[in-house]
Amino acid sequence: MDSHVIVVTSGKGGVGKTTTTANLAAALARMGKKVVAIDGDVGLRNLDVIMGLENRIVYTLIDAIDGACRLRQALIKDKRLENLFMIPTAQSKTKDSVSAEQMVAVCDELRADFDYIIVDSPAGIEAGFKNAAAGVDEALVVTTPEVSAVRDADRIIGLLESMEKSPIRLIVNRIRPHMMEKGDMLGVADVLDILAIDLIGMVPEDESVVKSANAGEPLTISSDSPAARAFKNIAARLVGDNIPFMPVDSTSGNGNLFGRLKRVFGL
Amino acid sequence: MIKIKGTADSMMRCIISEGMPAEELPAALGDIRLRGQRILRGAEVILDFGARKLDERLVSRILTDFVWPSEVRVVAWITYDAESQDNMKRAGFSTSEPVPATARAKLPGTAPSLVLERSLRSGQRVEHSGDVIIDGHVNDGAEVLSTGNITVLGRLNGLVHAGCEGDEGTIVIARSMEALQVRIGGRIGSLERGAQWWGKMVTVRVDDGSVLIDYWPALK
Repeated sequence: MDSHVIVVTSGKGGVGKTTTTANLAAALARMGKKVVAIDGDVGLRNLDVIMGLENRIVYTLIDAIDGACRLRQALIKDKRLENLFMIPTAQSKTKDSVSAEQMVAVCDELRADFDYIIVDSPAGIEAGFKNAAAGVDEALVVTTPEVSAVRDADRIIGLLESMEKSPIRLIVNRIRPHMMEKGDMLGVADVLDILAIDLIGMVPEDESVVKSANAGEPLTISSDSPAARAFKNIAARLVGDNIPFMPVDSTSGNGNLFGRLKRVFGL
Repeated sequence: MIKIKGTADSMMRCIISEGMPAEELPAALGDIRLRGQRILRGAEVILDFGARKLDERLVSRILTDFVWPSEVRVVAWITYDAESQDNMKRAGFSTSEPVPATARAKLPGTAPSLVLERSLRSGQRVEHSGDVIIDGHVNDGAEVLSTGNITVLGRLNGLVHAGCEGDEGTIVIARSMEALQVRIGGRIGSLERGAQWWGKMVTVRVDDGSVLIDYWPALK
C-alpha cells in the first residue's frame, strides 16, 4: 500500500498536537482512508481520551515493542468509523522505553495495512520527539499565533529538515480573528513569513474543541463547528484536494494574507 | 548530491547537500573517494554539511568510509546545527572556516567574509573569524558570532555578536531590526519590542562605551 506516514509535532506543549492528530485521523477515515493514529507520547498518554477509546485499551504500543503482544493486538478499532484505528501508549513507562529503531519498525509494519499512519509526538526536542519522528516521511507542524510557539516551531522545523522529512507543512491553530485584526496577535502571514514552510490549514479558536476533547469524540466525526470544518479541510488537502483557505484574518501585520497564499500555493 | 569545489587556498570544499538522506551519504562519499583517489590523497578538505545534524553514527561512518581510507586531511567540519557544533568541538574537531594563508598575511587571524545564502532557524548557529553577511533572515533563537562585522540582509530576530573576540570597532547592519539584544565586543545593547527602530533598517555600533543604534541611512 502506498501509505503516508506523518508526525504531528510542535516543539511547544499545549498548542493542539493531540487534538489535531485525533481530528485529522477521524476526518481521513470519514473520507474512506484507512487510518491509524499512534500515541507517541510515552508516559503521558492523551490520544486515547481525546478519541474516546480509553476504556478499550488492553495492550499498548510498549507491550507490542516489548514482545508482550503482537502489534495487531495493540490496535484499537473505532466503533464509530469503519476505517479508524489507534494504538495507545503506556502511561506507566517513560520515553526511554522506546528506541528510534523500534519506532521505525512499527511504522514500517503498519505501512502494509494503512493509507495514513499519524504519529502524535510529545512536546520537546529530546528523545520522545526524535522517536516519534524516526519512522515517518512527512511532518505537520502545529503552532499558535504566539511568539513563543512560533520560535519553538522554527526550532522543530530545523530539526525536521535535518532529518530529511518532506513535505513539512504548517497548521496555525487557535486563531482569534478579532485579536489579529486589532494587532494583539501575530497574523498568519507573519507566522508564514517567519517559518517559511507551506501552510496546510488554519484552525480558529472554538469552544467546541474543548467540549469534544472532554466528551472523547473528535469534532470531525459529527460536528460542523468552524474548527471541525477547518480540520476536514486540512484532511482534504492532505489527500491532495485543492481546497481554498477560509478567510480568517484579512488585516495582518505584514500585508495581504491572500496575496501571500496565492504566492505560496499558486491558487 | 555532493559537490567539490577548489578554494583560493588550494583546499577542497566538499559541499554535502542537506536534502540527501543520511543513509546515502557514506556511499556517496565512498564514490567520490574512488573516483578522486589521486587528487584526494593528502588534500586539505573542508566538509560542509549546511544545517545538517551530525550524530555519532554519521561521523564515524564518514571517518571510516571516507576520511581515513582516502588519506585526506579534514581542516573543518562545518555545520550550522548548534548542538552538533558543540559536540564536535568537545571531541576536538575544528568547526570554523579555516583561515587561508593569503588572508593571514594581511589581517592576522581573519578569514575572508562568510556569505551565507540562507536563513538561520531557531537553534542554528554560525561562528566565523571575519565578517559575516547573511543573505536571509536570522530567526528568533538563531545565533551569529563573528570576530568582525555582521550584515543581515533579511530580518534580524535572533542574537548577533559582532567583534565577539573583543573588537568594539565592529558594526552590525540589519535590513529589518527586530531583535531585543545586539552584542558588540564586550557590550550588550538592549532594545524594546515596538521601539522606534523596530522593523527598520539600522546600523548598530559602539561609541564611547555605549551601544548606539541608528537608522540607515542616518536622518539628517
